[in-house]
Amino acid sequence: MQITKSGFSIREWLHRPRGHLTMRQREGLVGFLFLLPWVLGFVLLKAIPILAALVFSFTDFKMLDPENTKFIGLTNYINILRDTSAGSSLFGSIAVLVQAVPIELGVALGLAAVFSSARVRLKGLLRTFVFMPSVIPAIALFIIVFGLVSPGSGWIERLILDPLHLPPIANLFSIFPILLALWTIGPGFLIMYGAMQSVPPEVYEAARVDGAGPINRFFSITLPMISPAIFFSLVINMISSFGGVALLDRGLPFSQSLSPMESYINAQMFSYSKLGYASALAWIMFIVVMVITLAVFRSAKYWVHFPEEEDNVEF
Amino acid sequence: MLNSRLQGFRRLFNVSTLTFRLWNFTGTATVNLLLWAAILAYLSPLSYMFATALKTNSQLSDSLAPIYPATAMTYTFQGNSYDVYEVPTEGGVKQWALVNPSRKESEFIDPAHPDLGLIHWDGSWRSLHKAYRPSVTFNNFVTLWNNIDYPNHLRNSLIVVVLAELGVLCSSIAVAYGFARFRIPGGRFLFLLCIATIMIPDSITLVPSFVIFTRVLDWNGTFLPIIVPHFFGSAIYIFLLRQNFKTIPREMDEAAMLDGAGPLRTLLSIILPQAVPVVVTVALLQFFNIWNEMRMSSLYLSSALDLRTMPFTAQAFVSYGFTAEMLQASALILIIIPVLVLFTAQRFFMQDMVVTGIEK
Repeated sequence: MQITKSGFSIREWLHRPRGHLTMRQREGLVGFLFLLPWVLGFVLLKAIPILAALVFSFTDFKMLDPENTKFIGLTNYINILRDTSAGSSLFGSIAVLVQAVPIELGVALGLAAVFSSARVRLKGLLRTFVFMPSVIPAIALFIIVFGLVSPGSGWIERLILDPLHLPPIANLFSIFPILLALWTIGPGFLIMYGAMQSVPPEVYEAARVDGAGPINRFFSITLPMISPAIFFSLVINMISSFGGVALLDRGLPFSQSLSPMESYINAQMFSYSKLGYASALAWIMFIVVMVITLAVFRSAKYWVHFPEEEDNVEF
Repeated sequence: MLNSRLQGFRRLFNVSTLTFRLWNFTGTATVNLLLWAAILAYLSPLSYMFATALKTNSQLSDSLAPIYPATAMTYTFQGNSYDVYEVPTEGGVKQWALVNPSRKESEFIDPAHPDLGLIHWDGSWRSLHKAYRPSVTFNNFVTLWNNIDYPNHLRNSLIVVVLAELGVLCSSIAVAYGFARFRIPGGRFLFLLCIATIMIPDSITLVPSFVIFTRVLDWNGTFLPIIVPHFFGSAIYIFLLRQNFKTIPREMDEAAMLDGAGPLRTLLSIILPQAVPVVVTVALLQFFNIWNEMRMSSLYLSSALDLRTMPFTAQAFVSYGFTAEMLQASALILIIIPVLVLFTAQRFFMQDMVVTGIEK
């Protein structure tokens, strides 16, 4: 199907019967009516707020005092450059991303590879068990992990550290993001496992005849064949660690956001009600996220093997 | 597939069928055992929640108590109740009730043989562990039920879930159909734009939408800011649905069109019946997302506490610094419904993530 060769052409438009639309134009119009909810949503919930945030970021807009808002130019952005906690929260967010995403992807990929073995029994049940922690609400997860790592009565200390005579971990909460990442592998696991299932068995058979061992086959067949799925999982995991809307969202309340940058923005917004400053911070974060996303998408052409299809989406 | 390969090995190394079967079975058993062990370890934090939710507060305050739910044993002797301790003696560790504690030496009674009278024991009773026997308590849940208006929270959650599901399904299906089946001028650009919006972090739209929803529309303290955005569709669901709709042969809807069916009718009677698994998957994803949703609710319902959804039942305890067993019990109540839904619907869910897994 060729969307790119658009149905709208000047010649058709000029030669159309008066008062009637051509088939093509009709099709375009009806199709556009179906897109209308998303187009409206895009304009009202994405485009206008993003631009409004840009405008706010040049003002000293305060929540409690909206009448006295003044245009202050780049002052907010200059203040961000001077604000050390803004910088450290940004790097904290990137650190969380760098810590969590490899765990989420690596563990999910390893499990998916094990699940692909013909020897594994009761796959349906086990898959559901692997997926289960990913649907647990963030607040419940918070409570469980909090209890688990709490000094004294937490099981990490009682069952692992004490019997092995290990010293207590100085900052037990530093392992929090790791435990959380481990319990967020569900969607990535299912996507990559699904992709592994769809690799044609003949390809493996051919490689086996050529004498490729299981490890060789995994790296030279499975990984390239499922690279679009790995890419998709990478993208959704990345988005969720920046606080975007991914496939599965646990929805932490604002007061307990795990992304340092996000909590800093929320603090500026709600605790100090500096909406202008928060908007400037959000714009900086937006740009950083877009740059990282773009870099990841650009890198895709070096390692993602998209199936040769006419109507191929860049995904 | 596995078997043919093993047959090859067998011929190559000339081993007997029995040895070979044994080896094959051992391999399968090892893989499965290791996998089960890994998954049990993976889920083990849940056992902490279960165990703690069924404990009493007095057990938790004793740092030497066992990790499973248990109660301290007592023994009633001559009308008085005494605590039972694990006492080390020459004849092994005995469970004796402490009658007369004192610093250097104490007097115990053996609950098994009370007729023997008081037993003298040298040593500090404070160094002894209390004796426990396994027992679970459901009192934590009773306390929670009496303190939190669960029916109200559940009702709020159901309202939000039903409306948000309805909104997101209707709009996302329509938009995905538009993207999948119509030649729209600039349609490809719009689709890429739609995918790009998935990457937009929430923080950037947060401040202006907050201003719009509270100042302009005056929706603060209602469900509207939480529900209404779902009626504009969700980019990632649109993507999943559109990819699936494209795999349905066009000939079928063309035939329907020739029979005089309009686009809407084609969507409802041709496309949707063939896309049930992906629609169910999207509905489930949306269910989990909305059920767990706290970001928007914590923002817009802070002035209307009686409208808050289920997750806030647990959050109340976090903020008030409740005791560990109450926290774990409230978490347990909270995760029951999503986990039940997942297990009920797993057949659909797992199957269809496989379908949508053939990513483009």
